[in-house]
Amino acid sequence: MFLLLPFDSLVVNLLGISITVLFTLLLVFIIVPAIFGVSFGIRKVYMKTLLKIFQWATLRIERGAKEKNHPLYKPYVNGIIAKEPTSLEEEIKEIRRSGSGKSLDTPEFELSDIFYFCRKGIETIMDDEVTKRFSAEELESWNLLSRTNYNFQYISLRLTVLWGLGVLIRYCFLLPLRIALAFTGISLLVTGTTVVGYLPNGRCKEFLSKHVHLMCYRICVRALTAIITYHDRENRPRNGGICVANHTSPIDVIILASDGYYAMVGQIHGGLMGVIQRAMVKACPHVWFERSEVKDRHLVAKRLTEHVQDKSKLPILIFPEGTCINNTSVMMFKKGSFEIGATVYPVAIKYDPQFGDAFWNSSKYGMVTYLLRMMTSWAIVCSVWYLPPMTRQPEEDAVQFANRVKSAIARQGGLVDLLWDGGLKREKVKDTFKEEQQKLYSKMIVGNHEDRSRS
Amino acid sequence: LPCAQDARTPPSPLSFPPPVTSEQIEHLHRRFKQLSQDQLTIRKENFDSIPDLEFNPIRGKIVHAFFDKRNLRQESDGLADEINFEDFLTIMSYFRPIEMNMDEEQLDRFRKEKLKFLFHMYDSDHDGKITLQEYRNVVEELLSGNPHLEKESARSIADGAMMEAASICVGQMGPDQVYEGITFEDFLKMWQGIDIETKMHVRFLNVDTIAHCY
Repeated sequence: MFLLLPFDSLVVNLLGISITVLFTLLLVFIIVPAIFGVSFGIRKVYMKTLLKIFQWATLRIERGAKEKNHPLYKPYVNGIIAKEPTSLEEEIKEIRRSGSGKSLDTPEFELSDIFYFCRKGIETIMDDEVTKRFSAEELESWNLLSRTNYNFQYISLRLTVLWGLGVLIRYCFLLPLRIALAFTGISLLVTGTTVVGYLPNGRCKEFLSKHVHLMCYRICVRALTAIITYHDRENRPRNGGICVANHTSPIDVIILASDGYYAMVGQIHGGLMGVIQRAMVKACPHVWFERSEVKDRHLVAKRLTEHVQDKSKLPILIFPEGTCINNTSVMMFKKGSFEIGATVYPVAIKYDPQFGDAFWNSSKYGMVTYLLRMMTSWAIVCSVWYLPPMTRQPEEDAVQFANRVKSAIARQGGLVDLLWDGGLKREKVKDTFKEEQQKLYSKMIVGNHEDRSRS
Repeated sequence: LPCAQDARTPPSPLSFPPPVTSEQIEHLHRRFKQLSQDQLTIRKENFDSIPDLEFNPIRGKIVHAFFDKRNLRQESDGLADEINFEDFLTIMSYFRPIEMNMDEEQLDRFRKEKLKFLFHMYDSDHDGKITLQEYRNVVEELLSGNPHLEKESARSIADGAMMEAASICVGQMGPDQVYEGITFEDFLKMWQGIDIETKMHVRFLNVDTIAHCY
C-alpha cells in the first residue's frame, strides 16, 4: 500500500501544477485582454490553422471516395426541383389557349384550370422553401465534427486519428477551459452589476456599469471562442434608438453586447437566467417583462416608447423575427418594434458554419444541450455589419418599414429575403395568407363574370 | 421498390412507368422522411407540416389524391389510411417529365395516366363519372376563400361549365335528356389538344453530383 503513496503524491503534484498553469494562462491570455478590450490575435491564428486542416480533411475524403469508386453525397441548399417562374395568370392563359382556344376574357371556368394548382401543390410537397430554412444549413466541406459528416465510410486511418485527436482536444481541453471562462464571466457579471447597483445614480455609476457589462460579455465571447469581425462601426446604435438584428441563436445577444452598451428587452425567466437578469437591471435600466405582460402588446409598446423617448437611455436591442432562423435567410419582421417611431439601427449577423453551426433548433435541442454543442465546436466565426440608421418615412406604414429594414439586413448579410413568418416553425399558416391565392384566381374568373353580366 | 428495379433493368416497351434515376429517388426519400418525421408511413396529418401547401385552394383534393387507392394502383377501392415510400413514389411518378425516347404508344399511355390522375381528383365518390355536384365542389373549392363571392355565383359558373362539357361530349341533348356525368372517355375528349404530358411534370434540378450510397 505504501508503494502507492509516492506515486499518488506525484500525480497530485502534477495535477496541481497543470491546474495552476492553466489558470495563469487563462488569466493572462484571456481574461486580462477581455477586461481591457484588447486582443492578442490568438483566435485569428487558431482559425487559420483550423481552415487549413479542414481543407486537408475534405481532400482526403474525396480522394478516398474516388479510390473506392463511390460517389459522394453533396447536399443542396437551393432545393431539388426547378420551379417554373410563371405566374398563375400566365399559366392558365397558356393552357386555355392551347386547348379550347378561349382566353381569360371569357368568364367561364375551364376543366383545365385545376391543373395549375395541382402542379403547384405537388411541387411544394416535393420540396418546400420554408421548412428548409428551419434545419441546419448543410456544409460543403467537412469540419471534423462527426455531427456534420455524411460520408463516414470514406475516412482513412489518418483522418480517423485526426478526428479522434479533435474530439480529445475539444472535449478535454477546450470544453473545461470554456466552462471555466463562462463561469467566470457570468459570476463577474452578477456580482459586478449588483455592486454597481448600490452606487448613487450619476456619471460614475453609468461609467462603471458600462464597463462591467462590456467586460463580462467579452469574457463570454472568449468562452465560446467567438471570432467576430465588426464592419462599419461608425454606424453603431446611439442613445434613444432601436437596434434590430436577425436572429440565429441566443449567442447573438452576447456578440452584439460585447461591442456596444445596450438595454435589453425580454421576458423574465426563472433559474440562472432570471438571476442574471435581475442583477443586470440593478446597474442599468433594461426592460424586462413579466410573462403575463408579454401578451399585452400595448403595454409592451408603451414601455418601449417611454424608454426610447428618454434620450439619455441606452439603445434597445430587439430581434424582430421572434424566433431563431438557420442563418440562410431572414424571415418576416414583426411590426411591433417599428411602430414606436424611433430611429432604427439595423445590424446584420452572418455566421460562418464551417467552424460550428450556431443555429439553435429549439424543437430539437434544449438550451443546455445547445450550449454544450456550442462549447464543443471548434469556434464560432461570424461577421457583424452595422448598417446606416433608418427612419420611418411618412408615406409608409409599420409593415412596409419593417420590410424595408429586413431587405437591407438580408442584402448586407447575403441572406435570402423571405416573406414568411418565422413563427411558422411552430404554428400553422394564418388564414389571411391562405386567402390570397384563392382570391387571385377567383378574381380572375368572377371579376370577368361580373363585368360580362353587367354589359 | 418497383421504381428502383426499373432503374437497373432496361426499359421494355411494356414497362410503365419509365424509370427514375436513383438520385431522384434518394431526394424523394429524404423528403419522405422529413414529412413522415422518420416513420415508415405518412398519414394525412403529415401534410399539415408544409406551410406552402396551405396556400393552395385544392389542398384537400391534392392530399386526398395521395391516399386514393385508384392512384396507388391497388385492386380495392376507397382510401388508404397511410402510405409508405413506395406509394409515395407511385403518386410522384404521375408527375414525371416525358423521356426523349418514348414512342407513340408509350406517350399515349403516359398521357392517359396523367389525365386519369386529374380525373380522380374531380370524381370524389369513385363512381367513374364526374357529376354536376362533384364539378360544383371543385369550382367552389377553387373559388372559396373569396369572401365577396356568393355561393350562387360559384354555382352558376360551375353549371355553365358543366353544360359546356355536356355539349362537347354528347352534342345536342333533347329537353328530357339528363346528362349523367362526365365519364373518363368524355374527359379525354375535353383535354384534346392540350399538351398535358409536357406540362404536368415536376423537373428535378440538374446538378452534377451523384447519388448517395448508404
